[in-house]
Amino acid sequence: MMNEQPVKIAQITCGAEYSGIQNEITTAAETVGGKMFYPDVALKDVKRAYRDFGLLVKSPDLKLAIARAQAVVEGRIEADGIFIASCFRCAEAAIVRNELRRYIVENSRIPVVSYSFNERTGASTLLTRLEALTTIARRRSLMTREVQIGTTMGVDSGSSTTKCIIMQDNKIIGTGWRPTTEVLKSADEVVTLALEESNLKISDIEAIATTGYGRFLVGKHLNADLVQEELTVNSKGAVYLANAQKGFATVIDIGGMDNKAISANDGIPGSFTMGGICAGASGRFLEMTAKRLGVDITELGALSMKSQGGDDVPMNSYCIVFGTQSLVNALASGYKREDVAAAACHSVAQQVYEQQLQEVDIKEPVIMVGGSSLIQGLVRAMGRMLNTEIVVPHHSQYIGAAGGALLASGFVNKKKEE
Amino acid sequence: MKPYVPQYVGTITKYVFVDSPDITPQDIATAAYEIAQGIMIKETCFGCQITGSPEDVERIINHLQKLDPYRIYVKDRGFPPGDARRCRADLGGARPGYLGHEYEMDLARYITYGLQETDRMTNEKLKITADQKVPRPEMLDIEILESLMKEE
Amino acid sequence: MAKVFIYPATSLILSTLVTRFGHQPLGSAISIREHIQTPGFDSPPIQITSDDPQYGLKWAAVEVPSGIRGRMSLYGPLVEEADAAIIIDEPDLAFGCMGCARTNELLAFMLREKNIPRLELNYPTSKEEGVTFVAAIKEFLKNLERQ
Repeated sequence: MMNEQPVKIAQITCGAEYSGIQNEITTAAETVGGKMFYPDVALKDVKRAYRDFGLLVKSPDLKLAIARAQAVVEGRIEADGIFIASCFRCAEAAIVRNELRRYIVENSRIPVVSYSFNERTGASTLLTRLEALTTIARRRSLMTREVQIGTTMGVDSGSSTTKCIIMQDNKIIGTGWRPTTEVLKSADEVVTLALEESNLKISDIEAIATTGYGRFLVGKHLNADLVQEELTVNSKGAVYLANAQKGFATVIDIGGMDNKAISANDGIPGSFTMGGICAGASGRFLEMTAKRLGVDITELGALSMKSQGGDDVPMNSYCIVFGTQSLVNALASGYKREDVAAAACHSVAQQVYEQQLQEVDIKEPVIMVGGSSLIQGLVRAMGRMLNTEIVVPHHSQYIGAAGGALLASGFVNKKKEE
Repeated sequence: MKPYVPQYVGTITKYVFVDSPDITPQDIATAAYEIAQGIMIKETCFGCQITGSPEDVERIINHLQKLDPYRIYVKDRGFPPGDARRCRADLGGARPGYLGHEYEMDLARYITYGLQETDRMTNEKLKITADQKVPRPEMLDIEILESLMKEE
Repeated sequence: MAKVFIYPATSLILSTLVTRFGHQPLGSAISIREHIQTPGFDSPPIQITSDDPQYGLKWAAVEVPSGIRGRMSLYGPLVEEADAAIIIDEPDLAFGCMGCARTNELLAFMLREKNIPRLELNYPTSKEEGVTFVAAIKEFLKNLERQ
């Protein structure tokens, strides 16, 4: 991989240099084999693009952003991927960012990631996003896989849980699931569980993929063939399990630490976002809710479904501290436990809707994956918000592991040839 | 984080632009080299950049301005010339400031004309002119323009 | 010699005229140069680090985007230093340091708020306007000498 040409990423940003984070962007790109560049445009291009595009913003650097995007989309400048970003809390730039992303997705096949930053944004935050971008650009052949072959394993070392799946001839034959304690110990445990269930030995496994926060460590430990960030792996796994590999699909994964929203076309992510202002908008808040209500997280979904939706319970999980406060207040005011559970689900769905889903195009089917997709109240709340029937595929809580096992099969024949 | 050790501390860099039918950017750079005395001169497509002590830079600019007093434009630059952080070759595209130059250089001819005219003015005339407002012709409506073009 | 803040702060035209008529232009390059020539942590291209938007809190509150606060950390000290200001309205095609309309609004406001001689005008669009443009600036700068 080291001798490959770097992936050319067109940088379309406003405010990065003045926020002091340009170096973070450049460094993150270089770490994942990418090279940021500014699409070269002349003044006349800016004037023309601004007029053509028709979004009459006032900031000159946003006019420049429009011209740079147009130059890439029209093919005057070659790029493998596009990174659009602007200052967090800038309304003018947020409008441009959104419209440019939409314009790029509709008029080209170039993968794009959009992001809003502040002065504290570091290279590590940008890494996963840019890794996904370079993967989509560079490894399209890997991403087009639709059928699992041979005997492969996927391990997803997530922030709250570790999962493993073993697949054989396009079927899931073994699974393992454990809360993440020590990264390697948890990984070994889930691998053992999955091997036991499938009646196999580790030597029977032909290819291994790892994903999630602990992917590098676990990947090295298991001598994995593929070590891949969770954005591409999860979206691939989602469309595979939901049998939605052709055409458009939207994948939502509300995780323990952050949320992902991916808009995929033929199983390949076109645009995606990842983040969350606060744990209040993630699965972590639902864990807290379950604890407070005295139920196991696995029972929270059933409890919330006893309620009509808990619409009258005041609940705002924009921030996990305020969210917890409203939780305590609601219970103290005498609201029923099921209504509080449903309101918590609604609040998380609302945060994801406001923060993530504005950054991707929602196209049906909408597929929910990850552990939180088993909380029916959350799926119901999201469905109501998007006015659609959400698809939750089988094994959705194993999404990263399933996607990993699928993608790992790209290495089966290669290894045989060797 | 990597420590940063600056180069050229204590120097200043100035851009010299020329917009003249008689003097080319290359002429400017050549004239600057002639009296450089070791001062850093970098030829560019619009003139040159000069880096050195404030006194040296001023000495060279004074000389250059005599070549075409109304058509030489000068401004400060934060970076030394050829700095990789701002270089088009390294960034893939022009830094944003370049387009701003393009925009203003397009207006330079009006400024040149204004400089020549005001140099011939008495103090009184200058004062009166300074307070004047030139009426701007109304912009032609784009639809009218389109229909006119179609008629043609 | 007066220190004259030029707006657009990247303006070649204003820089040329202010210098030509005997004063010192204050613009972006002065602050950028200071950043580029000061040792510290490496943060290319313009050596603005996360500390600068924090310093920018002096002129803009924390809910103001980081890019604005970072830019204000360049301009704020210059505005404080300025004896006079020349403002060209609507710098709609001045990029980079002047690339953010919100910063530009705040900056122009600060210059107007400050009790210093100030000249506001538009870019010329013809030779005739070029004459009044230069005359207005020349006259303004001449009067600064007397003050």
